[in-house]
Formats: sequence, structure tokens, C-alpha cells
Amino acid sequence: MVKTVKTYKIEHRRAPKTVAKRKNWRKFGEAENDPPGPNSANTIVQVEEIPMAFVHNEEEQSEQVEDPLNKLKTQKLVSCRICKGEHWTTKCPYKDTLGPLQEKLQDDKPATADGAAPPGGPGAATAAGSAAGMGSTAGGKYVPPSLRDGAKRGAGETMQSKRDESATIRVTNLSEDTRESDLQELFRPFGPIQRIYLAKDKNTGQSKGFAFINFHRREDAARAITGVSGFGYDHLILNVEWAKPSGTS
Amino acid sequence: MKPILLHGHERSITEIKYNREGDLIFTCAKDHQPNVWYSINGERLGTFKGHTGAVWNIDVNWDTTYVLTGSADNSCKLWDCQTGKMLSTMESKTAVRSCGFSYSGNLIMYTTDKTMGHPCEIHIYDINDMREPAMIFPIAGSKITSAVWGPYEEYIITGHENGELCHIDMKTGEKIHAVQEHSKQINDIRYSKDMSMLITASKDTTAKLFDTTSLRHMKTYKTERPVNSAAISPIRDHVVLGGGQEAMEVTTTSSRVGKFDARFYHLVFEEEFGRVKGHFGPINCLSFHPDGKSYSSGAEDGYVRVHQFDPSYFEFRFDY
Repeated sequence: MVKTVKTYKIEHRRAPKTVAKRKNWRKFGEAENDPPGPNSANTIVQVEEIPMAFVHNEEEQSEQVEDPLNKLKTQKLVSCRICKGEHWTTKCPYKDTLGPLQEKLQDDKPATADGAAPPGGPGAATAAGSAAGMGSTAGGKYVPPSLRDGAKRGAGETMQSKRDESATIRVTNLSEDTRESDLQELFRPFGPIQRIYLAKDKNTGQSKGFAFINFHRREDAARAITGVSGFGYDHLILNVEWAKPSGTS
Repeated sequence: MKPILLHGHERSITEIKYNREGDLIFTCAKDHQPNVWYSINGERLGTFKGHTGAVWNIDVNWDTTYVLTGSADNSCKLWDCQTGKMLSTMESKTAVRSCGFSYSGNLIMYTTDKTMGHPCEIHIYDINDMREPAMIFPIAGSKITSAVWGPYEEYIITGHENGELCHIDMKTGEKIHAVQEHSKQINDIRYSKDMSMLITASKDTTAKLFDTTSLRHMKTYKTERPVNSAAISPIRDHVVLGGGQEAMEVTTTSSRVGKFDARFYHLVFEEEFGRVKGHFGPINCLSFHPDGKSYSSGAEDGYVRVHQFDPSYFEFRFDY
């Protein structure tokens, strides 16, 4: 049950005759059927007290600074991904020169992070390689069982492959006309190459568009990734990354 | 202060006028029905039904017998105040922007917009002969955005879209006087109580005080947003300014940023000393009660707020 209590204050005021007369006028228009007194649908007395805020001129000035647009002006609204300037990336004046370089650097970062992860030992390296592969898809949060404490020993012993695959890179997005000699030419400058495997179609003998390159040294492989990833080759942009160990694929 | 909110309009308020004694408040808005209220308790006395467009201006004569409204439906209507009946309709070719009774109440003037190839015009009627306009003055140049009768019915004071303030002679329709103190549209012109001074509110973010007869510019009240209305207190050396950012930008900012406060300035020192908040949109019109103890404001949010001043307002002394 709700009980509504209304308190009225009855005031007596002296008013000019004309005003008093007007007070007794009949309501008209939309107010015609309203009962005497204010209609709560149209007239609301605010409960909240609204004080007059007395201000001084100094305050006034400080408040003027408080425009949110001004705040935004100090911040960069638009930041170029290439040179961090205040323009859109597509409008960057260094788009052609700095852009590809930076892309290389960016690809380099996750690659070296992965590279640092595997601990020494040939058996563990394979396991770690698989972990790095899986870790990249899981966003780095997920720790695979093989990397958890106590899992290092024993694991990977049976999975040991003949080749050391820690220095293997995978090149994708190759054109169909690519031959092994082309890859040799392309990757030779980074260091001695152990083996090049180019996937070919059995019937036509044409490239399937990806290849594996085994370097002797892991550092060379890392340099090859940063150097060639994003490289334009035969109208295609090459994608170079660490190869997933053959055991997991 | 505990303001009384008058919610009789569905759209933004365009004008508020008190009658001479101050017991009635007349309001009009962009919806089609002007309202009249008792100022003492906010009780609605009635509505005037008949317009089919936004009502831009409203006026009441000195003995509160007639009400005049000017509307965007290309008409100006005369109403009986007591019954709310329409007495007469004056048709024009374009929207009526401002209208008013002369001090005697015998003459009516209204101004029309310069649109659709028609010039801006001032129409003058004699209230005793409503069949034909007594005079029509076409106004060349910038259109009139606000107009009031001068004292003694000798001229009409007009504020123009380009910021010009003019005296238009009642008999010939010529510009007797013209001053250009504002750089943008004059939104509102209001008198002091004795009509010796008037205050103009302009889109150029200032309000200015002028001498009525010479149009000499005396004071400037500066803000940082367009001023839609300004009024002079009848009892103290105060003016109140209302405005805020333009209505079209309102939806993109919060009310605090919009600066929708009514701002009180000292008349002489041009310094702001107080603020009253409450509206959710820019204030379009402001009016002091003739006794100076309350004021009301109407805004883009569709509310009219009637404020009764606190004792602190009357005790307030400006430090100088």
C-alpha cells in the first residue's frame, strides 16, 4: 500500500484588483478541463534545490580551458603506423621507403621471441618448436603440456627427428614458376644452406607455392626471415616464418 | 531556488513574456499552441489553438486583454486573453518572425522573413481597424530577426541578421538610425523597465546594452557561446544572459560542456557573478518578472523554468 501525503501551504496575498480578477478566469484551450490548481501533468515543482552559483572571474577563466576538444587537440587523433606522424598511414610520405623496412622489423620481433624460447638440447628443441607454433596461435597465454614444469624430461625423446629443424624456415606465397635454384639464389646471401625443399606438383612438376629452407645456423635463418618476409618476388609478396616441425603437421 | 517547470510545450520554447503586472506568463514554442500560465504557482490558464506552424513570437498588451502571436504558418493572430478565442488573423506571404503591441496597445506590428522571393516586411495594423494593414514597409538588405516598438510609437527598433540595429520610422518606413555593433545576427531585443535602455543578444557571443533613443552602445557582456536572449533586471543592476552552443550541436555534447546556464552579469561592470543551471538545451528566451523577484527561462529542451530568487540573491553585493 502506498500512502501519498501532500502538504499545501495556503498563502494570502494582496493583489491589484485586475490581477485578482484574472485569477478567477475560466481555463480555456487544452487546460479547459483541468481542475483548479496546477495540473501535475504540466506543472512540476522541482524538488531539487538549484542554488545560484556565484562565480568570480578568475574561476571563469580556468574553466574555459576545460573544453574536451582542447584536451583532444593535445592528443594525436591520427597516428601513422609507419612514421608515427599525424596523418593516415596511406598518406605517409615515407610509405614506400620506410614502410617495407618496418614491416620486416615487426615480423622480426615475434620471430626472435620464439627463437629465444627453446632451451638447449636437440630433443627439447623439437618440443619447444612445436610449442612455439602452438603458442603463436593461442596468443602466448597458453602453456602447452610439453613446456610445463616436469614435462621437459622424457618428452620428445621418441619424437626426435633426424634433422635439426630449429634452423628451418618456411617460405609461402611463392609463384608457380619458382625453381629451387631461384630459392638458392635468394637465400644464399643469408648464410650456408643445408637443404632446400620446394613442394612440387607430382604431375606437372610446377611449384605448389611453398618451400622449406634448412640453414646450418639458426641466426642465419632468423636473418633470412627478417630480410625476405614481405619481399616482393615475381609479383607476389613472400611470407617467411619458422617452419613447424614435421612431427606436428 | 526550487524552480517550477512548465511543461506545456512539446518542442523548443521560442519566447516568454510576462504581462505588465507579472501575474501571467505567456509562452510560445515551435509546436503550434502558445500557452498562458499563472506565474505564482505555474498553473496553466489556457492554450491558444489555431496556428498550424511554429510560433516565433508572442506579445500581450498593457491591460492584458489581447494577445498577439506571430507564426511560421505565414500568419499573425490576435487573441482574446480571457477566453482564448481567436479574434483576427493577419495573413502574410512569409513566416512572421517577431510581433508586438505598441505601448498604448492601439497599434500592432509584425515583421516577416525574407524567403521565397519575398522581401522582409514590417506590417502595421490599427487594432480598431483590422481589415487592412495601416502600413507595409519593405526592408531592403539584411532581414529583421528581432523587433520591438520604440517608445511613443515613433519608430520601431529592429535587429537584423547581419548584426545591425536600426530605428525604422513609423510614418515613412525609413531607417532613421543604424548602428552596427554586432557582427552576427541579433536574436533578441529587450527593454529595461523604463525603456530607456535596451539589451541585444547576438549570435556573435555577446550581449550589448544600448541607449534606446540614440542607439549609443554602452556596455558589452561577453560569453563564449552564442547568446540567444538577454534581459535587464527591473530592480537591480543586473542582466541575465542565456544561450549555449547552437541547437544543432547539442546532441553531440554533454549539458555541462554545452554551457546551458543562465548567466548573471553586473550591468555596469560587465562582469559575471552568478549562474543558474538546470536546462538540458540552450536557453532561447529569458524574462524577468516585472517585480524583479523572479525570472523565467525557456529552452530548446521544451521546458519553461520559473525561478523565484533566494534571499542570497538580494543580499549579494558586488565587490569592487
